Amino acid sequence: MIKDITIGQFFPGNSVVHRLDPRMKLVLTFIYIIAIFLCKNFLALGAMVLFLLISVLLSKISLKLIGKSIKPVFIIVLITSVLQIIYNDKGIALIEYGKFHITTGGVFTALFTTVRIVALVVASSLLTYTTSPTLLTDAIERLFSPLKIVKINVHSIAMMMTIALRFIPTLIDEVDKIMSAQKSRGADLENGNLVQRGKALIPIFVPLFINSFSRAYDLAFAMECRCYKGGEGRTRLKEMKLALKDYIAIFMLIAVCVFVAITNKLIVAPEEYSNILDSFVRFVL
Amino acid sequence: MAIIETQNLTYVYSEGTPFRKVAIEDINISIEEGEFVGIIGHTGSGKSTLVQHLNGLLKPTSGTILYDGKDIHSSKEFTRSVRFNVGLCFQYPEYQLFESSVYKDIAFGPQNMGLSEEEINEHVLRAADFVGIKKEMLKKSPFDLSGGEKRRVAIAGVIAMEPKVLILDEPTAGLDPKGRDTIADMIDNYRKSTGSTVIVVSHSMEDVAKSASKVLVMNKGQVEFFTGVKEVFSNAQRLVEIGLNVPQITGILMDLKAKGYNVRTDIYSVDEAKSELLRFFKERGVL
Repeated sequence: MIKDITIGQFFPGNSVVHRLDPRMKLVLTFIYIIAIFLCKNFLALGAMVLFLLISVLLSKISLKLIGKSIKPVFIIVLITSVLQIIYNDKGIALIEYGKFHITTGGVFTALFTTVRIVALVVASSLLTYTTSPTLLTDAIERLFSPLKIVKINVHSIAMMMTIALRFIPTLIDEVDKIMSAQKSRGADLENGNLVQRGKALIPIFVPLFINSFSRAYDLAFAMECRCYKGGEGRTRLKEMKLALKDYIAIFMLIAVCVFVAITNKLIVAPEEYSNILDSFVRFVL
Repeated sequence: MAIIETQNLTYVYSEGTPFRKVAIEDINISIEEGEFVGIIGHTGSGKSTLVQHLNGLLKPTSGTILYDGKDIHSSKEFTRSVRFNVGLCFQYPEYQLFESSVYKDIAFGPQNMGLSEEEINEHVLRAADFVGIKKEMLKKSPFDLSGGEKRRVAIAGVIAMEPKVLILDEPTAGLDPKGRDTIADMIDNYRKSTGSTVIVVSHSMEDVAKSASKVLVMNKGQVEFFTGVKEVFSNAQRLVEIGLNVPQITGILMDLKAKGYNVRTDIYSVDEAKSELLRFFKERGVL
């Protein structure tokens, strides 16, 4: 049940995408997300989607899993689409019923935002699917290391993130166990009104908190026993080095971004695009 | 009629992901009322997965589980009532304590059953008595108790529902020898005085040999043996092959036999072994 959540999960593998430098992957995802919101026409969006599709295929992550990652945002997509279709009245009307009308502009924008949101989610899922949490926080630590100048302890923050991420599966396991145990004693977690359901959570959260605290103490002891004293002078097991494939990846993404910029400027703004769509619709009708 | 029966029970974890794993496969067992079944098996052999099916916590991927001849997933209400009739106590149950007093924590199960205040009180006191918790301890916070006491309180929390079938997953794990004996005696005592069916998952061959009437041996998600204690431990060779052991005392007798001494090897308690060895010595004229 809880175990079926795939967001933020890591699926080990040995594909090119898995082996990319995590710092580069982080930067790539960041640029990608910005770029996808700067797309103004279907041509640019198509190029972005194509880039993502190639990355997904290269990662050898099954499409089923990618599909699973989209599931949670399905409702958001549905709501925005419906709102766009109902309230956007640009373009020509396809269906009119009193005040209510569906226009080509609405359908067009709904489609556009859907693709955008899906691409956004898939891109960020791909990052976590192919990068282990430890590598990811390591990458964050390095990317933000210049902040040391302004006295921000990047290492501690990264260590906290690593520990937090590390314990997510453990805690999920634990919640699962405690829930099963309390259910065995007849705890009813599924039925009842809001207050009853809230109360039903007490038998789960009290043990969870107590166990987490004792675990935190244990971990702190264990770290101290191994002489952990923060980031100062700490060396690493694995040094990160940018390789040719990292440069190729960023070069390709920049190329796509340039393409997006050019099409945004030169070809058509969405309104004009929908005008073309309109004339097409008129032609058909 | 069997109180619990499984038919072609199969369960697969994380179906449809790369982590897919068959936990148990095609399990067909039937447990009679009043029996004491010990479940043994290597880590990851599917013992815990199996017992979590018996009170309807896990829904089988395929196959059915019958309680009193009725499919436990036939209706939501029935599944819930099965939870009270088949009491499952998890491994390290002390980590589930949450109430402000021992009394309240033990009362959690009976409360969920919808019993009256009086009945709850009776159930709690009886359960506390079974696990040897003194009256003055009932007012304490469960978090102030020692490890062994916590364990007993947690087990009392399950016993308090007075289930017809009591399942315990590794009830003695992580306890010292004295704690282990206390818990084992307690379970025995509970079964004898209530006549309930008891199923115990255990790593300790000694515990199983001592009290179980039947043994279920799991191996890689499948049933290896499901017969009487004697028959199971007489298959020592096979047990060792699947990474298990025979009780220490049985092992000693087997070694003696292997060295050419003519002793019986179907023995798994120290007392029996003592009389067998005495017999053997007398026969040889040593005594």
